[in-house]
This record gives sequence, structure tokens and C-alpha cells, in this order.
Amino acid sequence: MSRPLEPLSVGRVIGEVVDIFNPSVRMNVTYSTKQVANGHELMPSIVMNKPRVDIGGEDMRSAYTLIMTDPDAPSPSDPHLREHLHWMVTDIPGNEIVEYENPKPVIGIHRYVFILFKQRGRQTVRSPSSRDNFNTRRFSQENNLGLPVAAVYFNAQRETAARRR
Amino acid sequence: MANVAVMATTNNNHPTTTSRWNMSSLRSSLPPIPPTSASSLRFTRPSPTTLRISRVKSQSLLPSFTGLRPLPIFAPPSEFSGFDHGFTVIDNGGRVYAMRHGRKVPKLNRPPDQRKALIRGLTTQLLKYGRIKTTRARASAIRKYVDKMITLAKDGSLHKRRQALGFIYEKQIVHALFAEVQERYGERNGGYTRIIRTLPRRGDNAPMAYIELV
Repeated sequence: MSRPLEPLSVGRVIGEVVDIFNPSVRMNVTYSTKQVANGHELMPSIVMNKPRVDIGGEDMRSAYTLIMTDPDAPSPSDPHLREHLHWMVTDIPGNEIVEYENPKPVIGIHRYVFILFKQRGRQTVRSPSSRDNFNTRRFSQENNLGLPVAAVYFNAQRETAARRR
Repeated sequence: MANVAVMATTNNNHPTTTSRWNMSSLRSSLPPIPPTSASSLRFTRPSPTTLRISRVKSQSLLPSFTGLRPLPIFAPPSEFSGFDHGFTVIDNGGRVYAMRHGRKVPKLNRPPDQRKALIRGLTTQLLKYGRIKTTRARASAIRKYVDKMITLAKDGSLHKRRQALGFIYEKQIVHALFAEVQERYGERNGGYTRIIRTLPRRGDNAPMAYIELV
């Protein structure tokens, strides 16, 4: 397993959300001052607003699709609504087809995953019908997106959750 | 040491360590830093590219080692965003010895009654929330008991249910566990938990870990 993919597979992002891929595009997600790093934890108050996503662009012609999902909805011990879609942006920089919904982890510690796909052409991605029971693999098959090119995830729990013991 | 460190540097051959806090490897691999690039490192910390470039340049003039004085500048332990995103700390938690001969029971710095209560509480919480964040020692101590509870639930008889009720603090969790464990862990033989090590706690630098049900 190559080194950039190890945190993703240890955190089971590869496996539950996407399949093994080759990260070819650099992607930085930053919530005001905090950069998202694989497996690190962020507070819900910080992630209330949209993050800034920097995509290392080699060419400006290709369009990308960014998906943000929560594979542990509604609770990691019982994720029957896996996954919950929080945000989808296509034709980057461009359409936000599913509006940013700020993470509300009610029960337990949730992972929030950002996945970047490369689109074959512009305006080929349709918005899904509902946010719940979203399946990233199926969505990428339906819209011909193939394997992702970048992924990152962070953890979040309720603000008032017990932290120190 | 090679398998412990996980550094998600995507497009960069990072010249320094694989394991962060091994001093000998740090000393041997760090290049001598001319003062100018040291100060530029300090100020340009947020941007990863300049950090990388300055290190690679001074790597080429390796031979003389100017001592440990420049080292603290590299040290900032909390700034993982200085490297490429996805940097995860995988170290051995400050464990000084390599062996575990004869250590059968994790004592968790507590007398036996408190220890049992702590373990019961943690397994209850893990079964309730699915993923919890505790110290690494506690996470690896409760693995056995979580697996035991799931094995009891897999058996499913009344006796096993009562045994589980005697261990887990909340009875609706036991009933929920007995109800759903068959479809969830029916085919899996053991290993129902996963531990993911993470950043140390700020207050006391205790090595932390997420433990989750697989």
C-alpha cells in the first residue's frame, strides 16, 4: 500500500467509501485556518462554513467533481443511512449542485470524507435525488467518473461530547 | 521503524525521517541549516512548498554537521499541516523497551476494582457509540472485552445474555447487540475492533487512539 494511501485505508475510507485508487491530484481542504489532515479531528464549530478547497491544477481544462460524505450516518455503531451526502460541487470551479450542509455529528465520532473525481467532460454529472443512503461507488459509476483522484477525511464529534474520560 | 510511520506526502521525496521522534535518525538525516533558510522556514511554515525546497537544497551540502542548535526549528510537533495533508503520527507512543515478556494484564494505573469498572465503562461506550477516542493503552486493553461481548452475543442463548448483562452497564445496549450482531458479524471470526492511532492529547501529551467496531 503506498504511503499516501495508508491513512485512508487504515481509516477504512478505502474499503467503505471508495476503492483503491492512485492519488494523482493534490488537494488541500482548509476550514478557515485549519487544514484537513487524514484522521485528525475538527470541531463542528469550525466546520460550519464551507471550506476552501485548493486543487493542484496541472491543466485548467479538466473539470473535477468534489463530494463530501459522511459514511457514519447516523451513528458509527449503526450506520444504516450510510452515507450521508453533505456537499457536491461539479465542474470545479463551478456548480455547487448539492449545497453545503454543515456536519452535525449527533452520536459518536463521524468521519467526513472529501473525494475528488475527474470528470470526462463538462456538465455530465447529475445531482442525486436524496442526501441519505448515498453511495459513492454507485454514483461514480452512474456518472462515469471512474476512480477518484484524491481523497481526504477528518473526524468530528458533538461539541458537548465527553472528551476527557 | 520502517513500517510504523505513515506520512502522506504525495509528490515529494521527503528527505527526513520516517519515524518522527527517533533522535538518532533525526540527527543523521537532517542537513546542516544555514541561518537564512532557517529563518525562512520559520516564517513560511504554512506553505509546504517552500519548506520542502529549502530542505532539499541544503541536503546536497551534507558533510559538516553544525550541531543540534538548528534542530528545534524543525521540531514543531503540532504543525503537521506543514507537511502534505494526511500526515498521521504513527509512533510507538514513547515506549522505551521493545519487549513485553511476562506482561499479561494491562493494569491501567488503577486498583483492580477501578480497572474493572473502567473497562466495563469503556466497552459499554464503544458498543453504544461505535467509535470512541481514548488513550492507546485503554484502547488496546478493552479489545479483549469487546470481542468477548460480541462473542457472547453471537452465541445468543439466555445464559450468555445474562452474562453480558452482568458486564455491560446499560441493558438496552445488550439487547440491541444481541439483536443485530448476527447480521453484522455473522461471518467474521474474531477481530471485531480496529484501533487507529492519532495525535496526542494536548493536556498531557497522552498518546490517543480511536477504537471502533469493525
